[in-house]
Amino acid sequence: MTFVLQNIVDAISLGALYALTALGIGLIFGIMRLINFAHGELIMLGAYALFFTFGMHEAIMGLVAMALVIATAIVMERVAFRPLRRANPATLLIASFALAYFLQHLVLLIFGARPKSVTFLHELSGFFVVEGLRIPKLQVVTIAITIVLLVGLVVFFRRSSIGTQMRAAAEDFGMARLVGVRANSVIAIAFLLSGVLAGIISLLYVVQTGTLTPRMGVSLVLVAFVATVIGGMGSLVGAAVGGLVVGVLTVALQAVLTVELRPYRDAFVFAVLIGFLLVRPQGLLRGRSARERI
Amino acid sequence: MIGRMEKAARLIWPVLSLALVLVVLAALLSLGPMPLQRTATEAFIRLIVVIGIYIFIGNSGILSFGHVSFMAIGAYGSALLTIPPTMKKIVLDLPPFMTALQLPTIPAAVIAATLSSIFAFLIGVPLMRLSGISAAMGTFASLAIVYVVISNWKEVTGGASALIGLPVYADIWVTLIYALLALGLAYAYQESRYGRRLRASRENEVAALATGINVRRERLIAFVFSAFIVGFGGVLHAHFIGVLSSSSFYLDVTFITLAMLVIGGMNSLAGAVTGTIVVSVLGELLRLIEAGFDIGTVHLAAPRGLREVGLSFLMLMILLFRPQGLTSGREFAWPIAPRAG
Amino acid sequence: MLATEDLRVTYGNILALGGVSLRIEEREIVSVIGPNGAGKSSLLNAIAGVVPVASGSIEFEGQAIAGTAPEDLVRRGISLVPEGRHIFGGLTVAENIRIGAVARRDRGAIDGDVDRVLAMFPVLRERLRQPAGKLSGGEQQMLAIGRALLARPRLLLIDEPSLGLAPLVVSEVYRAVADLRAEGVTILIVEQSATRALEAADRTYVLASGSIVMAGGAAELRAEEGFEDAYFGYKARDP
Repeated sequence: MTFVLQNIVDAISLGALYALTALGIGLIFGIMRLINFAHGELIMLGAYALFFTFGMHEAIMGLVAMALVIATAIVMERVAFRPLRRANPATLLIASFALAYFLQHLVLLIFGARPKSVTFLHELSGFFVVEGLRIPKLQVVTIAITIVLLVGLVVFFRRSSIGTQMRAAAEDFGMARLVGVRANSVIAIAFLLSGVLAGIISLLYVVQTGTLTPRMGVSLVLVAFVATVIGGMGSLVGAAVGGLVVGVLTVALQAVLTVELRPYRDAFVFAVLIGFLLVRPQGLLRGRSARERI
Repeated sequence: MIGRMEKAARLIWPVLSLALVLVVLAALLSLGPMPLQRTATEAFIRLIVVIGIYIFIGNSGILSFGHVSFMAIGAYGSALLTIPPTMKKIVLDLPPFMTALQLPTIPAAVIAATLSSIFAFLIGVPLMRLSGISAAMGTFASLAIVYVVISNWKEVTGGASALIGLPVYADIWVTLIYALLALGLAYAYQESRYGRRLRASRENEVAALATGINVRRERLIAFVFSAFIVGFGGVLHAHFIGVLSSSSFYLDVTFITLAMLVIGGMNSLAGAVTGTIVVSVLGELLRLIEAGFDIGTVHLAAPRGLREVGLSFLMLMILLFRPQGLTSGREFAWPIAPRAG
Repeated sequence: MLATEDLRVTYGNILALGGVSLRIEEREIVSVIGPNGAGKSSLLNAIAGVVPVASGSIEFEGQAIAGTAPEDLVRRGISLVPEGRHIFGGLTVAENIRIGAVARRDRGAIDGDVDRVLAMFPVLRERLRQPAGKLSGGEQQMLAIGRALLARPRLLLIDEPSLGLAPLVVSEVYRAVADLRAEGVTILIVEQSATRALEAADRTYVLASGSIVMAGGAAELRAEEGFEDAYFGYKARDP
C-alpha cells in the first residue's frame, strides 16, 4: 500500500513538473504554431544563473534567475522568431532547434561541459512523514506551485482582456489581428509567460537535482513534447493534462517494467507519442487548433 | 545533333558540376597532411548522410529529425557483420550464428544499408501519413527510440560502452567514390518520375493529389531510398572511426546535418553539397581556433563550444536572411545560355 | 473617404488584382460584384491590410494606408467582416462581441455599444454565454458583423455576407446594413450573388479577372449593354 501511495505521489509531482514544461511550450505553440525546442535552454539558463549567483541571498539568486529566463524568452522572440513569423512551421521548428543548440553551446563555452553543482533552498530537501509515508517536501511544493500556476493561468485566460485576446489569437491569428488584437503584444506576452514557467522549473529542478549541465534542458523538453502531443497540441488544458499523464506513465512504467526492460522506459514513452500522432492527433483534449495555420 | 547534345549536357550538368567539385577537392586534399585528409573523409561521409536526408526532405518538403537513426542502424548493422568473431565473443552477447558471421566489407555495407531501408519502411508506413509539425515530431520520436535502444541493448550494441574492433577501410578515396555514387543516385531519383511526382506534391499537395499522385506512396519511396543512402553513410562512419558509441547518433549529428542542409538550401542537391562543404570548412576553421595557436610564446585557444556556437549562429542567420539557403534552392545551371530559336 | 489607385495584388506569380481604381464617399453603400475568382476578396483583404499590396495606392480619409497592419487599420476606423465569418468558436458569444472593442480607448462606451449590437441582432442575446462555435451560420454572420461594429468603424468592409445563408436571414443582414448607414457608417460589400448587393448599394462595381469592367447604380448597370455578359462572363463563353 505504501509502495503504491509513494508511487502516486511521485507520479503526480513528476507530472506536475512535466505539466509546467509542457504548458510553457503549449502556450507558444497555441499562438504561433511554433514548437519551441529552445524552451529547455531557458530552463538550463535559469539553473546556470543560480550557479553564477551562488553565495548571494537566495531570494536574489531566485530573482536573478527568473529575470534572466524571462528576458531571454522575450529577446528570443524579438530577435529570432518575430522575423520568421510568416515562415512555415517547419522553418520555425528548425530555427528553434538552432537556437537551442546555440544557447547550449554558449553556456558550454562559458562554463564548460563538466556538470556543475549548486545548492538552492536546501530546506526543501527534507521529508514530511505521514503514516509511514515519506513525502519529499519538494514534491509537495512542486504540486502546490503547479496548482497555483494552473489556477492563475485559467483565471488570466478566462477573465482578463489580454487573456481573451490570446485565446482568440490561438484560435485564429489572422482574425484576431483584424479585430485589433496586436500581434506583437500577444506573442510577446506568450513568451513572457513561457519564460515565467521556465524560470520556475529552473528553480524547482535545481532544488531537486542540484546538478547542471548545458544539456539538462533537452530531456525535459523532449518529455514535454510528448505531453503536448498527448494532451492535444494547441490546448493549454491539454498540455497540463498531458504533462500529468506522462508523469504517471513514466512512474508506472518504472514500477511495472521488468529490470531488463526498465532502461528502455523512455523508448516506450516516445512510442506513445508516435501512437498518439497516428491514432489521435488531436490529443486527449480537443486540440481543435492542432491543424496548422497557413 | 548538337541540340540533343546540349540537351543532354543541360540535364547532366547540375550533377556533373557537383561531382567535379568533389573530385577536385578530394585530389587537392589528398595531397595534404593526414589530419586534413581525415577531415576531408569525415566531410565526405557527412555529405553522403546529408544527400540521403536531402532525398527525403528536399524532394518531399517534409521535415525529418529522424534520419540519423538510419545512420545508426547502418553503422551497427555493418559492425555486427564485420567485427571478427573472436572479438564479438568478448564484447557482445549474440546468438551463436551471429557471432560466427563475418562478411566482406562491401556485402556487409549493402546489407546494413538495406536494414536501414527496411526499418525506414516499417516506421514510414505509419509516419508518412503525417506532415508538417506532426511529421517532425514523429520522426524525432523515432530517433529518440532508436537512440534509447542502442544505448541500452548491451548484448547487441555494447550498450553504453563503445563497440570496438571494426575494420577501418573508409579513407578519402573510398568515401569520395561513395559520395559520388550517392550524388548520382540522388540526382537520378530527383529527375525520375518518382522524384518529379514527389516534388510536385511538395509544391502543392492538394494539386498533386488531384492529379492522381499517391503522395503517401511517393513519400514512402523517398523515405526508404533516403534511409538506404543515410544508412550507407552510417556504415562508412563506422568504418572510418572504427569505434561506435550510441552518443554519436543523436542530437549532435542531427543538428549538424540539418544545419548543412539548411545553410546550403534544402530544396536542391547543389544546396546539400554546398552546405556540407561550407559547414565543414567553417567547422574546421573554428575547431582550429578552439585548438589554439601560438603567438610567440603565448598559446591562445578559444574555449570548447565555439564551433557549435558559430555554426548555430550561422544557421540562424541563414534562416532569417536567406531562408532558401546559399543556393536559393536551385541547382547549378548549364553556364551557356540557350541559343535563340 | 476611400480611394484606391491602380491597386495590384499578386500571390506568387498569380495576379489577383490587376490595377483597380475605385472611390467610396462618406456614408455610401458600395458593392463589388463579380464571379468567383474575380479578385473581390483580394480587394477587401488588401484594403484591410491582410494581404500585401504589390503596387498602387490606397487612401483612407486622405492618408495612404497601403502596408499598414490590420490591427492598426482597425484603430484608424476600418473593419473587415471576412468571408466565412471567422468567429472565435471557442470563445463565448459575449467574448466574441467584446473582443471587437480591443482597439478602443473609450472603455466607458463599450457596454452601450454591446447593447446596441444585441438590439440589432436579438438572437445573440439569448446565447451570450454559449460558445460561438455552436451558433448557426446566420447567427455567426450576425455575430461577425456585431463584433466588427464594436470597433466603431467608419468604414465597414463585408465579404460575402449572404454566402450559405437562408434568404430570410440574408434580408435581416441587409436590413442591418441599411441601419448602419443611417448611423453614419460607410459600407463596402462584396457579393457573388448580385441581385441583393445591387439593390442595397448606392453604386456597384463589377469586377472580372482582377479588373473593374463596369460601374454605376443598379439602374444604370441593368441598362448597360453586356452587363449580364460581364457578370456571368464565364457563362457567356459556354456555347
